[in-house]
Amino acid sequence: MENQNATPPYLEVRGLVKWFGNDRAVDGISFGVERGKFLTLLGPSGCGKTTTLMSIAGLHGIDDGEIRVGGVTYTSAKDKLFMPPEKRDIGMVFQSYAIWPHMTVTQNVAYPLEIRKVEREEIDSRVADVLRLVGLSDMAGKLATQLSGGQQQRAALARAIVSRPRLLLFDEPLSNLDLKLREQMRVELKRIQHEVGITSVYVTHDQAEALVMSDDIIVMSKGHIEQMGGPHEIYARPINRYVSNFIGVANLLEGRVIRVTEPGRGEFELNHGNEHVRVPCCLGEGVSEGASAVLSVRPEDVEATREDRGAPRLEGSVLEAIFLGNYVDCRVRWGEFEWKVLAHPRERLRPGERVFLHLNPNHSLAVQP
Amino acid sequence: MRTQAVAGALAGAPPSISRWRSLLTQESITTIVVSLIVAAAVLLPLATLVVSSFRVLDDMGFSTTWGLANYRALIYDPVIPGAFVNTLIICTGATVLATFLGVSLAWINARTNCPWRERLEPFNLIPFFLSPFVGAIAWHNLAAPKTGLLNAWARNLFGIDGYILNVDNIYGIIWVTGIFFTPLVYLFVVGSLRRMDPSLEDSARTTGAGLLRTTLTVTLPLVAPGIISGAIIVFVTTAGDFGVPFKLGAPYGYETLTTQIFSKAVGDDANHYLGASMSMALGAITALFIYIQQRYIAPRSFTTVTGKGFRPNVLDLGRWKWVAFVYNIIFILVAVVLPILCLLVVSLHPVWEGEIILSDITLRNYVKTLAFWRPDSIQAATNGIINSFILAFSGATIAMVLSLVVSHMIHRTKGAGSRVLEILCVIPIGFPGIVLAMGVLVTYIQTPIYATLWILLLGYITRFFPYGQRNISSVMLAISEELDQSSRMAGASWLTTLRRITIPLLKPGIFAGWILLFVIFLRELSISIILYTSGTETLSVGVYYLANFENEPLTSALSIAQTVVLLLCIVIFRRAAGREALTA
Repeated sequence: MENQNATPPYLEVRGLVKWFGNDRAVDGISFGVERGKFLTLLGPSGCGKTTTLMSIAGLHGIDDGEIRVGGVTYTSAKDKLFMPPEKRDIGMVFQSYAIWPHMTVTQNVAYPLEIRKVEREEIDSRVADVLRLVGLSDMAGKLATQLSGGQQQRAALARAIVSRPRLLLFDEPLSNLDLKLREQMRVELKRIQHEVGITSVYVTHDQAEALVMSDDIIVMSKGHIEQMGGPHEIYARPINRYVSNFIGVANLLEGRVIRVTEPGRGEFELNHGNEHVRVPCCLGEGVSEGASAVLSVRPEDVEATREDRGAPRLEGSVLEAIFLGNYVDCRVRWGEFEWKVLAHPRERLRPGERVFLHLNPNHSLAVQP
Repeated sequence: MRTQAVAGALAGAPPSISRWRSLLTQESITTIVVSLIVAAAVLLPLATLVVSSFRVLDDMGFSTTWGLANYRALIYDPVIPGAFVNTLIICTGATVLATFLGVSLAWINARTNCPWRERLEPFNLIPFFLSPFVGAIAWHNLAAPKTGLLNAWARNLFGIDGYILNVDNIYGIIWVTGIFFTPLVYLFVVGSLRRMDPSLEDSARTTGAGLLRTTLTVTLPLVAPGIISGAIIVFVTTAGDFGVPFKLGAPYGYETLTTQIFSKAVGDDANHYLGASMSMALGAITALFIYIQQRYIAPRSFTTVTGKGFRPNVLDLGRWKWVAFVYNIIFILVAVVLPILCLLVVSLHPVWEGEIILSDITLRNYVKTLAFWRPDSIQAATNGIINSFILAFSGATIAMVLSLVVSHMIHRTKGAGSRVLEILCVIPIGFPGIVLAMGVLVTYIQTPIYATLWILLLGYITRFFPYGQRNISSVMLAISEELDQSSRMAGASWLTTLRRITIPLLKPGIFAGWILLFVIFLRELSISIILYTSGTETLSVGVYYLANFENEPLTSALSIAQTVVLLLCIVIFRRAAGREALTA
């Protein structure tokens, strides 16, 4: 993303700013998406992700910045350019599905093609194709109101992709579905997007959704970007406390990097009551010697045993141990702090027991506060 | 990999033409044109009215000077202050009565298992289609002290001296206005009650709240915006109503502001300027109420309908459903059946003195009021029938087209212009028909449209198009904006989206609004009475003429004719638009 000299990405958002009254909903963000990729904007409600999506769609104007798709300028605040939404050739799936209740499934899906004045026979065959793709062939003649939530979702997707648009936008499309259907639709959406190969931007507050579906994830908060990267990178190397906390589960301990031992590695000093415990760690981006930082350790990277392996000695007491078959979900009190640990079942930890915690130095990451 | 904000210069200067293109869209051009039309129609009469109210007519009635004499008259005139008080009492009474009846009947019909409720509903709505002026005439014939049919029966059957009922006073005005405006509240409430997601009620009941508690704490608060809207409309409509106080109040010494505006501003020694100051006073009261409503209700509009469907279900009242049923039947009896039957009886007599005389029965009254081809027919009545049909049909159609565009601008276009339009659309609701008509009169009296049907059409549309607009808006608010947006994303322009998505989804609202306006126009009196001249009488002006210059049987005959036409409208439109249209 930093290389400005390479050919620009397919979707390019630069310096986007959007005000709502006195609220700076989007605060000058920039990013790009390569052709055919699936980007997720992830963050809690009010972080500006939906506003960003609506700006790309052209459903509202922007106050500063520029949006381009495939070299075509969609919006540019500086040049006072605004392409109306219907000219942008974008497919969009809305949170409420927005399936028109006065039309059948076929009429809904055929609509974008009719608008584009496609020949009747071609409309029929393309609608049939896309309904087969989303698995709604049996429902073609049904009124939209006769569909279940999941079926409306599929119909909305079919309508969005039938015209083979330049870009596909999703506004929290799964948030109205129940968990089981949501998990199933995640995989299916990703499969269909992959099959049709349309560049996609997806908005969600569900980190699991983001991890499963995306090629790239942008974590947002308060109108700006916290981090952008692939799902694995975001999970394994969060840039700061916010991202680490938002993606997955992590133990986050405050302290300080006291020494850099070799490039990318160092020693982290944890505050534990009056004493200081030093543990080896990896250094995240922007973390330097002497700086106060946060140590982020995932529960699966902490080992809890009865055996004392010497320094660094982290000794605590088990608060809770829930046996889940292949692992034990533990909470271990250590001074003021409560560790979340996935322990091995053979340890057979029980509440109240003294245990020693061993952090995997390769996955103990010092990140920005 | 962290992405910084890119501050680099943006490349490429576009041709200046594209800047214009972004301003002159279908949407913005339509917005500007429609806003200007609405602004001119609404603001011009009111501005002229304000100016006129400060012009004082000299004793000779020829020249004017500037001054406050017209406003001093509001306080020191022997009649006007009393009329002011009477107006407030009548409005309050009628609003309370109509709101109670309207909400209870709507709830019974929409949310309970009251027997035969589908059959009762059209009858509940009938008074709304009829003229309250005709209602007053009917109730006068039913319960005037001497000639009232009910009093005559009481005398004959029970040997009572004098009378048991008397509607020729303020209570009579409240009674007739209240029952006739009940359907206004009903219509405002029943749609949202019916569309309400039943799970909202179900969830309250699962917490242990009983039927009554659920209704009072969940159901009614959810439709509170509709209830308040209905009540305010009743208040303002009552304040501006001319026919009922003209029939039941003025002849017996109970003047209201409207009867005073009429008698002092129109007639042989007309003083438009004094009429203007009285209109300002009346307008001030009603505008204040509408302002309060807008402040209170605007932040409380709920979207209870989404793109997802849900099943409707109703509450089981148990044995109480029969109480609800009887309650509903009684309303229909006093609001519809008795008045119409009484008018019919009176209209068949050559003269009416409180007695049914079977040997006298004749159709002569109908011939005189309806047979326009005969030289002995009464011109004011026959003209009125033709004129009212022209006005109602063209007026409702023009007003609905305007309403549709305006609603769309208010709710879907979010700019400074939409806020201005929203205010413009509230202003006519704040001013009773008779007030706006005074404004239209003083504005256009010197222009060629005076003494034509055009001035009536202008008055009708200006005053009543917000009703149509509100009808569409309520449906529009209930429809997710994403349904429109998804059409734009599918590549359809603003106009295509309007034609293929918005209008079909709004069809119930559009039909309901059209019917509302058609009926209002067909029975309109307070605007017509100010703006009509010889030759441009309307149906209700015809009834007024007969009531004032002829006798009760002739008046009843034309009233029955108007009533039959209005009832026919209900049947035709229910068939054309379906059940949903009347209740949306």
